[in-house]
Amino acid sequence: MKSDIEKPPMKTIRIKKGYNLKVIGSPSTTSQKTEQPTRLALLPEHIPFVKPRLKVAKGDSVLLGSPLIEDKRNTDIQFLSPGGGHVADIRFGPRRVIQEITIQLDNTEKAIEFERFSQEDIDKMSREQLVQALVAGGLWPLIKELPFRDYARTDFVPPAVFISFNSLEPFHPAPKVYLFGNEALFRFGLSVLEKLAEGRVYVCRHLADAELASMLDGLINLTYAGNYPAHDAGVLLYHMKSSPDENRSWFVDGQDVVLIARLLRDGVYPTERIVSLGGPGARQPKHFITRMGAPLSVIAAERNENENWRYIQGGIMTGYGTLPHSYLGFSETALNLVPEGNRKGELLGLFNPGYRKPSFSRAFFSAFNREKLEMDCSMHGGERACIACGYCALVCPVDILPQFTYKAILAGEVEESLEHGLLDCVECTLCSYVCPSKIELFETLKNAKAEFYKEQTSR
Amino acid sequence: MNRIEKFFETTGKHFKKGGKLEKLWPFYESIESVFFAPARVSRVAPNVRDCLDVKRYMMLVIVALLPHYAFGIYNVGYQSHLASGLGTDFWPVIWTGLKAVVPIVVVVYAFGFAWETLFAAVRKHEMSEGVLVTCALLPLTLPPTIPLWQAALGISFGIVIGKEIFGGTGRNFLNPALTGRAFLYFAYPAQNSGDAIWTVLSGGNTSPVDAFTGATPLSIAAASESFGNLQSAFADAGYSNAKLFFGLYPGSIGGTATFLSVAGAAFLIILGIANYRIIFGCILGLLGTGLLLNLVAVEGSSPYLTLNPLYHLIMGGSMFAFAYMATDPVSAAHMQGARWVFGFGIGALTVLIRVFNVAFLEGVGLAVLFMNLFAPLLDHLEIKMKLRKRIPNV
Repeated sequence: MKSDIEKPPMKTIRIKKGYNLKVIGSPSTTSQKTEQPTRLALLPEHIPFVKPRLKVAKGDSVLLGSPLIEDKRNTDIQFLSPGGGHVADIRFGPRRVIQEITIQLDNTEKAIEFERFSQEDIDKMSREQLVQALVAGGLWPLIKELPFRDYARTDFVPPAVFISFNSLEPFHPAPKVYLFGNEALFRFGLSVLEKLAEGRVYVCRHLADAELASMLDGLINLTYAGNYPAHDAGVLLYHMKSSPDENRSWFVDGQDVVLIARLLRDGVYPTERIVSLGGPGARQPKHFITRMGAPLSVIAAERNENENWRYIQGGIMTGYGTLPHSYLGFSETALNLVPEGNRKGELLGLFNPGYRKPSFSRAFFSAFNREKLEMDCSMHGGERACIACGYCALVCPVDILPQFTYKAILAGEVEESLEHGLLDCVECTLCSYVCPSKIELFETLKNAKAEFYKEQTSR
Repeated sequence: MNRIEKFFETTGKHFKKGGKLEKLWPFYESIESVFFAPARVSRVAPNVRDCLDVKRYMMLVIVALLPHYAFGIYNVGYQSHLASGLGTDFWPVIWTGLKAVVPIVVVVYAFGFAWETLFAAVRKHEMSEGVLVTCALLPLTLPPTIPLWQAALGISFGIVIGKEIFGGTGRNFLNPALTGRAFLYFAYPAQNSGDAIWTVLSGGNTSPVDAFTGATPLSIAAASESFGNLQSAFADAGYSNAKLFFGLYPGSIGGTATFLSVAGAAFLIILGIANYRIIFGCILGLLGTGLLLNLVAVEGSSPYLTLNPLYHLIMGGSMFAFAYMATDPVSAAHMQGARWVFGFGIGALTVLIRVFNVAFLEGVGLAVLFMNLFAPLLDHLEIKMKLRKRIPNV
């Protein structure tokens, strides 16, 4: 008997390595609107690889969606104003790095009108037209290309596109919060990506999140299980690929699919962002409905006061620290508050059994502790030479041997490091996390990768 | 608590930049960081870091070695009293043991620390904790009668030639403690080989009392004439299996206590400090080779070939070296598969050296050093094999 429920068995990718941080401050699934910000900003400094050229000057009036900067490498790619008003300030850092373009919003907030598309339009239009619409709407850079994680090339059809839900990194927005009520929009966005990929789009969820499966009835076609970073597109690709042709796959964040859909459907640069606030510093870790480029102070309005917090944009592992008066980055959807921990350790802490000291190793009693623990940004030790403990290789989700690869990099052996799988690195930062010698393995690998990329593209 | 903090604050300023003792900063830092972990925060991703550091890692090895010191002090005193015809009451025995062992430990640590401080100060980096483990290991492998100047020379050779000239901890390819031990063995054979060196004489005696034989199990096994029945040779000399296992016989200061080595190995494996592959590889190599020799032994070959391989495991310092020397992560093989081979090679060579080379009664130290040399090659082969399986990404 043939039934229409029958589907090919869904593939599950199981990751054996990796590691889950046990840190407190997981955001609840409740969401709350933040107060309406009066200033927004774009932070070009934190958009990887982009070489920004200013398109506005201080005092210029801008519409919602007017270009603020363009990428010198490809001037079609522009980053648009997240609000309407005037350019209040442009802040430069060392060597004239553009750090912050601040927009003072006005009351009317006029917006640039882009073309609107229905589902039928999408089905009918050519791939080039669709690319054009996304580039013009300023959201093309949300689509990223492996292995370098720069924004995707516009003239390239990828072997596959990954849309991965349920980030296992602490802490990112929960998909059911940002998808709630937006399921139709997501479907619309998915059809856009299917058109761009000319076929293979993987919609991936964690094996345990059955709720998401029912929300996105029938759309999920790949599940994964295992520790952080099993959710990462690079990890999934590494464990699925059968030939080098697949290395240049693309990936898009789940919330960004909704954003892309909104731009194409409404013809207006989308502003709404759902941002999670987590970490030990959040008084009530939860989700906030706010705007792209919103000031962090409106998101972190309710924080614990007793500490010097590091405002981490993105996850606790891979995110970057910003000042409390900074703004939400272009593609960021998470803010985590973690104590700086810039103080000396307790007396003879070295000999503490360490029931509350989180560690990948079994050298502390915390190995028996199932509770989530407090963490801070302390290095917990001095820098040493590699003692070949091999922990980095035990956690690397893509079977790189970081302790050897980084030595190859430091010795200038580019070929050897590539052979070691340098470009498979998914930038999860676990190698640096576990290193007892406090060697910046991840930073070394990432820089080598970026260096190689720049060399390749300059040719 | 407050007083300790204040002490470091007032003394620390002399060692900081601009202070009188600025050059000795690494020495000061190494002491202070034992009491208070330094205040350093992450500058690049990941923002948070694991609580484990090298200091904790090495400290746990030293914790595992402390029982060996307790045992060693007792055993040195006990053997000394037996050989000198004195009573074997607990406290006098301990006192004799302390008098023999403590000076060696103090000298070894003083010289080891001095070298490490010198190199750290010249290279302007913090002191590495590896030296603490090296200095803890070396005395346990030495005979209790060793002249103190030789102990100083041994640790100096181990630290400087075995480690520092290659760049310090993490860049050495030989186990520094064993390098020092091997140096002493070859440079001063009179004080480092033979049966007489393993017992300290006390109470004014210049030669042991008649009832005492200082023969170690290894020398008995090597000298035995009884083909196929070495067990009886051991029994004649008073070596029961239990005595071999518990190590209460003349030997190096702490290396004879097989039972403590087993416990220490289990402790380090459970804590994830020592790699079980190396230790089990060693044991397999030792038993396998011992068994092989049993099988090939014919009438007329050395009786040592017929020794039950389990004896190789419980006599001498083989288990001590397997647990603490072979597992030194820096000088051992780094890849999981290579670690098995590395361990197996150590076990096999230990037996071969013991049985076939009458000049070296205890082969395990040399076996470890020899396999240290091969570790990079084993790693290279395994990495090559692993990389071949990767789908290229360039």
